[in-house]
Amino acid sequence: MNGFLGYVNGSSPLHNLHPLTKMIMSVALCAPCFLSGNHLLILGIIALNLCLFASAGGAGRAITTLLSFVKFSAVLFVLQVLFIRDGTPIFTLPPGIVVTREGVMFSLLFVLRFMASTMPLALMLSVTPVGDISNVLVRNLRIPYKYAFVITTAVRFIPLFSEEMLGIMEAQTARGVEFDTKNFIKKIRLLVPLCVPLLVSSVRKIENSAISAELRGFNLRTRLSGYKQYSFGANDVLVIAACAAIIAFSASGILP
Amino acid sequence: MIKTAGLCFRYAGGGRNALSDIDLEINDGDFFGIIGSSGAGKSTLTYALNGLVPHHFRGDFAGEVTVNGLDTRRSAPEALARHVGSVFQDIDSQMLASVVEDEILFGLENFAIPREEIERRVEDSLASTGISELRRRSVSSLSGGQKQKVAIAAIVALRPAIVVLDEPTGELDPQSSRRVFEILKDLNEDHGVTIVLVEQKIMLLCEFAKRLAVMGSGSLILSGPVKDVLSHAEELEEAGVNIPRVAALARRLEERGLYQGDVPLDIGRARIMIEGILCDASF
Ligand SMILES: Nc1ncnc2c1ncn2[C@@H]1O[C@H](COP(=O)(O)OP(=O)(O)O)[C@@H](O)[C@H]1O
Ligand SMILES: [Mg+2]
Repeated sequence: MNGFLGYVNGSSPLHNLHPLTKMIMSVALCAPCFLSGNHLLILGIIALNLCLFASAGGAGRAITTLLSFVKFSAVLFVLQVLFIRDGTPIFTLPPGIVVTREGVMFSLLFVLRFMASTMPLALMLSVTPVGDISNVLVRNLRIPYKYAFVITTAVRFIPLFSEEMLGIMEAQTARGVEFDTKNFIKKIRLLVPLCVPLLVSSVRKIENSAISAELRGFNLRTRLSGYKQYSFGANDVLVIAACAAIIAFSASGILP
Repeated sequence: MIKTAGLCFRYAGGGRNALSDIDLEINDGDFFGIIGSSGAGKSTLTYALNGLVPHHFRGDFAGEVTVNGLDTRRSAPEALARHVGSVFQDIDSQMLASVVEDEILFGLENFAIPREEIERRVEDSLASTGISELRRRSVSSLSGGQKQKVAIAAIVALRPAIVVLDEPTGELDPQSSRRVFEILKDLNEDHGVTIVLVEQKIMLLCEFAKRLAVMGSGSLILSGPVKDVLSHAEELEEAGVNIPRVAALARRLEERGLYQGDVPLDIGRARIMIEGILCDASF
């Protein structure tokens, strides 16, 4: 599995939690980003995410995940810093762009929030099979199966689409198109025309999935069709208590 | 038992008939191969057998298709699915879960198989496709061949009398393709499952299928036991099907009265055939 939004085999304590606990955990790890504006707290949450990732699938995966976030965040950070003009100037770039202290702090908070709020979702998806998520959505949260299926299918298709895009790019590379150009604009120009074949093949894949689901009785499913039973254990209680503590702490305003 | 009579189908908005006047009978326990060039209507024929035509794909439908006595026009695809299971060429898009076990459970849960029977069905279907050890693996960590076996296991778990497969080895390498054929053979011989298989790999098809149908531009050009179909070299060529050259050679020798017997499909058996002829000639 190369993408970062997919289930990874495993039997770690995290894998074995009740799916509902894992969903609560992912919300609880997101919450501090919106409840608190403290850089250190959010940095701590990111570190916690990384530790959890490492406990679930080895450190390698934690690092690849972090790197993919950092790359994207770096671009966001630079853009932010360049656009914020208010506050105490630190230095001025050649064409007259002023970089301010407030700009840097705000941008830093922005990317930290971005990272800290997306990682828990990636974490949850890597330790929870989509089937478990939809079972819990349907049985415990009483969401109609069709909607739960749409959500889980969308999640499942993300890595498929990125694979498809890579396949199309490879085919184009074989025809002499050079994608590894440093020029950002040029790269976008090369990628845009590929959206049409991607769309066509995606629609075909979705159609195939729909057929396959239909022929396996999708329309007959009811709320109680799910076979798997999930039970709450001592670990679930611990994790939920920890989640409550994290939320309470970040909402309390103890930190500035 | 599958029976089609005067089956014609034209997709809504399609220019010509995708199927024209198909009369076909597939008996219980058969291993039935369907071959033909691209666009010949093979997939459409499989859709007619599992009820996707006319229920999912709309268009002009004429004639009659019955599957185990059910008229496909009057039964919903999910009702027909209890009798006919379907496996498709596109491997990834027919996977609906992220773990192998969940993939097998999907159909069993939907068709409300009793709880106490589900576990046995999961185990049996994994065992009969030789993938018991993959049960807890994530689907995305599997190879194409393994995924296709999971797709077959998910269908086998529903215990349909007939399994229809549309180019299931289209994305697989020769070795995995052969493994898929062997699994189908076991299902056919040990469990009495009727196999209907659309396939481009003529050599494998000739080796494993009992009967063969050749399609061309929506029509059934030939159908019958594999050996009989292979002897119609000209029609096969017209339909764009390349039969093994040794089979064509055997056919020529037969025409000249030099050879009678099984049509050889590989060099080894062709050699035996020719040595036999030379041996006869030397007397
Ligand atoms: N969904 C569709 N809508 C309209 N025409 C279709 C559709 N699917 C297939 N066709 C047409 O029907 C004919 C038979 O296609 P198909 O059954 O897929 O052939 P094969 O599987 O032998 O390659 C082709 O001419 C194809 O263009
Ligand atoms: Mg086809």
